[in-house]
Amino acid sequence: MESASRPDGRSFSDWKGWVYNFAFFLNGLLIFLLLFEDRFVVPVWMQSLGRMHPLVLHFPLVVLMLYSIWILIVEKEESTKWNENLADTLLLIGTLTSVVAAFSGFVLSHEEGYEADALFWHKWLGIVISVCSIIWYSFKKYLPPWKLPAKLISVSLLIMLLIGGHLGGNLTHGEDFLTAPMQLASVENDKVTFEEANVYTDLVEPILEQKCISCHNAQKSKGDLQMQTKELFAKGGKEGTPWDTTKADLGVLLTRVHLPLDDKKHMPPRGKTPLTDEEIALLEAWIKGGSRFDLMVKSVDAQSPMYSYAQNVLAGSETEEKYEFSAASGDKIKELNSTYRLIKSVAAESPALAVNFYNRANFKSEDISALAPLKGQIIAMDLSKMPVKDEDLKTISQFVELRKLILNFTDITGSTLPELKKLTKLKNLSLSGTKVKLAQIQALSQIPSLKNVFVWNTELTPDEMITLKKSAKIRYETGFRGDTLVLNLNPPIIENESQILSANTDIRLKHQIPGTVLRYTIDGSEPDSTTSLVYSKPFPVTKNAKIKARAFKKGWYGSKTVEKFFFKSTFHADSARLITKADLKFPAQGAKTLYDGVKSDQSTSSGKWLGYRDLDFQTYLYFNKAVKAQSITLSMLRNVGGYIFPPARIEVWGGANEKQMKLLKVLTPEMPVKETSNSENLVFDFDFDMQEIGCFKIIAKPLSKLPPWHPGKGEKAWVFIDEVFVN
Amino acid sequence: MEKPIFDFGLNTNRRHFLSKLSLGLGSAALGSLLIPDMFKGGGESDVNDLMAGLPHFAPKAKRVIYLFQNGAPSQLDLFDYKPMLNKMHGQDLPESIRGGQRLTGMTANQAKFPLAGSVFNFAQYGKSGAWMSELLPHMSKIVDDLCIIKTLNTEAINHDPALTFFQTGAQVGNRPSMGAWLSYGLGSENQNLPGFCVLLSRGKGNGQGVYSKLWTNGFLDSVHQGVQFSSGENPVLYLNDPDGMNREERRKMLDKLSQLNQNTFDEFGDPEVTAKIQQYEMAYRMQTAVPEITDMTREPESIVKMYGPECLVPGTYAANCLLARKLSEQGVRFIQLYHQGWDSHGGLPNEIKGQCMDVDQASAALITDLKQRGLLDETLVIWGGEFGRTNYCQGTLTKDNYGRDHHPRAFTVWMAGGGVKPGIVYGETDEFGYNIVKDPVHVHDFHATILNQLGLDHEKLVYKHQGRRYRLTDVAGKLVKGIIV
Repeated sequence: MESASRPDGRSFSDWKGWVYNFAFFLNGLLIFLLLFEDRFVVPVWMQSLGRMHPLVLHFPLVVLMLYSIWILIVEKEESTKWNENLADTLLLIGTLTSVVAAFSGFVLSHEEGYEADALFWHKWLGIVISVCSIIWYSFKKYLPPWKLPAKLISVSLLIMLLIGGHLGGNLTHGEDFLTAPMQLASVENDKVTFEEANVYTDLVEPILEQKCISCHNAQKSKGDLQMQTKELFAKGGKEGTPWDTTKADLGVLLTRVHLPLDDKKHMPPRGKTPLTDEEIALLEAWIKGGSRFDLMVKSVDAQSPMYSYAQNVLAGSETEEKYEFSAASGDKIKELNSTYRLIKSVAAESPALAVNFYNRANFKSEDISALAPLKGQIIAMDLSKMPVKDEDLKTISQFVELRKLILNFTDITGSTLPELKKLTKLKNLSLSGTKVKLAQIQALSQIPSLKNVFVWNTELTPDEMITLKKSAKIRYETGFRGDTLVLNLNPPIIENESQILSANTDIRLKHQIPGTVLRYTIDGSEPDSTTSLVYSKPFPVTKNAKIKARAFKKGWYGSKTVEKFFFKSTFHADSARLITKADLKFPAQGAKTLYDGVKSDQSTSSGKWLGYRDLDFQTYLYFNKAVKAQSITLSMLRNVGGYIFPPARIEVWGGANEKQMKLLKVLTPEMPVKETSNSENLVFDFDFDMQEIGCFKIIAKPLSKLPPWHPGKGEKAWVFIDEVFVN
Repeated sequence: MEKPIFDFGLNTNRRHFLSKLSLGLGSAALGSLLIPDMFKGGGESDVNDLMAGLPHFAPKAKRVIYLFQNGAPSQLDLFDYKPMLNKMHGQDLPESIRGGQRLTGMTANQAKFPLAGSVFNFAQYGKSGAWMSELLPHMSKIVDDLCIIKTLNTEAINHDPALTFFQTGAQVGNRPSMGAWLSYGLGSENQNLPGFCVLLSRGKGNGQGVYSKLWTNGFLDSVHQGVQFSSGENPVLYLNDPDGMNREERRKMLDKLSQLNQNTFDEFGDPEVTAKIQQYEMAYRMQTAVPEITDMTREPESIVKMYGPECLVPGTYAANCLLARKLSEQGVRFIQLYHQGWDSHGGLPNEIKGQCMDVDQASAALITDLKQRGLLDETLVIWGGEFGRTNYCQGTLTKDNYGRDHHPRAFTVWMAGGGVKPGIVYGETDEFGYNIVKDPVHVHDFHATILNQLGLDHEKLVYKHQGRRYRLTDVAGKLVKGIIV
């Protein structure tokens, strides 16, 4: 073997000698200790060396593997020349590191918690590897790499490395660490249902398996605690039973779990996944409840954390059904989708489809049969309000995967309803608003999976509903029955928006509930259900009128009265002139206010009231062409709190023009008393003999002194006016 | 040195190249086996990558009807029975209970915070034994279908931020609303109707505004915006073709229009243009779909009695509940109702009576109605306001009259159907009804749970906007496992 020289003249291979010797020494020490293992006590300083095992072991694994592979690929002597030196170094390093690893492993194995079969084989394989490699290095020159013996040795070394490494992995990570992901997937597929779940086996144990058992098992029972069976778990470890309900902290298990994360004694230890809050709550509730291994989830109180935990873990089992069928082609689904027939997968990645139909006018029976290519995937169909006919149920019964079928308010009569018996997976069936009958519904109870049937508003009599409800297996929802309930009708609506009726306007009433009878009066009296006028079409009134109306219907109480005051306005004035100016605060639209046909509400700030206080209200109202009038109406306001009172005196004058006026009528309105309501629209009518009139003059004097009961006693009152009507 | 390189170049001939290529192909093929979604469609954009595979898991609920009680109903007068408040009526709220809670400007200056016991009687109902106020006789009958959560809590103390928070997951505006998120995540079921509809009604109590930012699409595509229905006779305005125009002509006109729009899109690439084309198309289909839904004449009389006669008067809460059921039945993903008038700062006993008259019967009827059609299991119904009301009185307290201010720390919301546990009361408040003592549910948690019921993982439903991935639950939210089946 040729070796390059270093500047100081010593060859590189000198260090190899040192290393070789050191490895040889360690192997000797190792074998010696093995021989006297039962007397060996690990000194404290050496424990750290032992714990370096997981770090060191990877070197010999890799290096020895590389060397073995090199041996395997060497074909003939010549090809070894250029890398022989490197290979030699590899084996030497492998030899040294393997003995260091074996030695540290040996020390580590004397710590607690490793005492089972897996350790036995791991330990001995490690030692064998270490010893074999030093022997190999020693006799290397007799084993040329291109000959068979060397190749056999390298194969066996490779096998030992793999097995030893795997066993070591099992020791730290748990026996099924490698295969766990595959097993997990298969476990999820057969989740137990809520009904048959056991608290320990289905809730507690999975947590232990995930987070505890890797250190507390037959192979590696840290703290002498093993959890793989109920008995061993209940027995506990070095610190006694895991739980003790007589203690405030419920025993060592929960104490350790509850310790702060960075506490040395916290379980699971640092670096491993801690338990979640929900998991801790579950364990706590289970232990408090006596740590019973036979406790069933369904018998647990619904308020208990065990119950809510179970709901979260097991919830999927009922609603998120796993479907056996495979998904339909996306193109097919796309092709069959339209704006009136929506086909959607239940969730991303789910093969199951749900179909909804919309728009009655566009529906044809073929819309259902066209879905046949997807009948292996459709699990829900909503046909409510579609004109589905009896014979369509035959088509529907071919969709054997259906779980939910909604036929509310379709045109089916029920004669073909028993066809649906073929839907052996059906769970929910809605038949509300159809004409199905008792016997037809009962025929469906043979469907084994059927759970809910909705039969509100069908042909069923109340007695038949009671018969159905006796079923223990199926829940029949019969819904709300209104026929025995008597309610108040809501009042009718007086449709006229304006309070002002011009010459040809009729009064219109309406009510939204079909079949109501509307009765009304125009004289202000209360309408009743027998004598008052029945509304059949819009009607006219000849003068100012207070319309009162009520609605009546069989099976209902009569409504409250609705009322509205109408001003009749036969003649529209052409212009007006205010003789006295309105107060600056309430000018409204000046003279025009009086004949613009706009009635103000009771708000004083509406801007539609003319207000007078210091002056009398005085105005002229002109007609370009004289009219044959016989009455005039003033619309005014009372707002006691706002000092707005009826005028003390009103005078109405009339004549052909301003010059030829005569007094037609005088009125002294009644004044409000303390008890009078605050605000009201006031209407003052003035009838006179019919005569040709071209001009009116109206005078209204505000009350000069408010009465003593009023807060503003002695002050002047206001007069508010917004409209004048001539008939 | 040059020669070997030259030789090497010569040695790499076609055969070598092809054989090496086969190895490369082989490795790619193996790689593709390990990445199952590798060759599936999509992937055109970042968004599609993020949104691949929805719903994330099989949903319990397909649709949501959210009965929003706008203005914040008083949980202490409806659901959260606190006899202690009656016992201590008029005494001051202990500071130890208030614990420095931020107050609104309306009561911050009050010298005293006298506790106000509810004037209404409570009783237990159903198998769950839930306490319900006499104000809710109809809801009391269906408590075994309800999941009553007493421990909702929020951060906002005023209406606008609180409402916005509830609807969009953030107190500031312009984030997408919950319904928009769902429309984005799950799409529309019925392509002939919008996926997200909004219905408004107004009670007689003290009202607070609702505004379109509550049903905004935010930074999501405009097609996800909530469509507000009109509260008049025609819920969707301008849907009819003008006289003399038939369907074919309308079709032709739309085809031409979308061609023009497509040209614009090709030129500028603005996605709003495609959104516009889609909306025209939907409007066209809505022309036949909407009249079918809004036609109330086919509803049987028992339905009218169940929801109450008001349900045929357009614009009322009852009518909106009935319409919500019809829309939901027709596959509208998210229907948002708002009923205004719950903001009872004063005169609460009187105001709340009117509000309950408006909503009690119809809310309960909606649940019963969905149930009798076999649709409750796939429809999630939610009832509640943006926060709760204080246990102390705002303004003057008398024996039978009081007002209550806003209270964010604990309030009641109920859910029903859609895979939520029926017949349970979740969470507890202290005996003053002021603080949560068990199982708090934050608004973010509430959102996470709703998304979960629809088969969406709230941490995965994301949209990348201006360099950040946004979620409805922002960076928070925990699934409330205790309320789901």
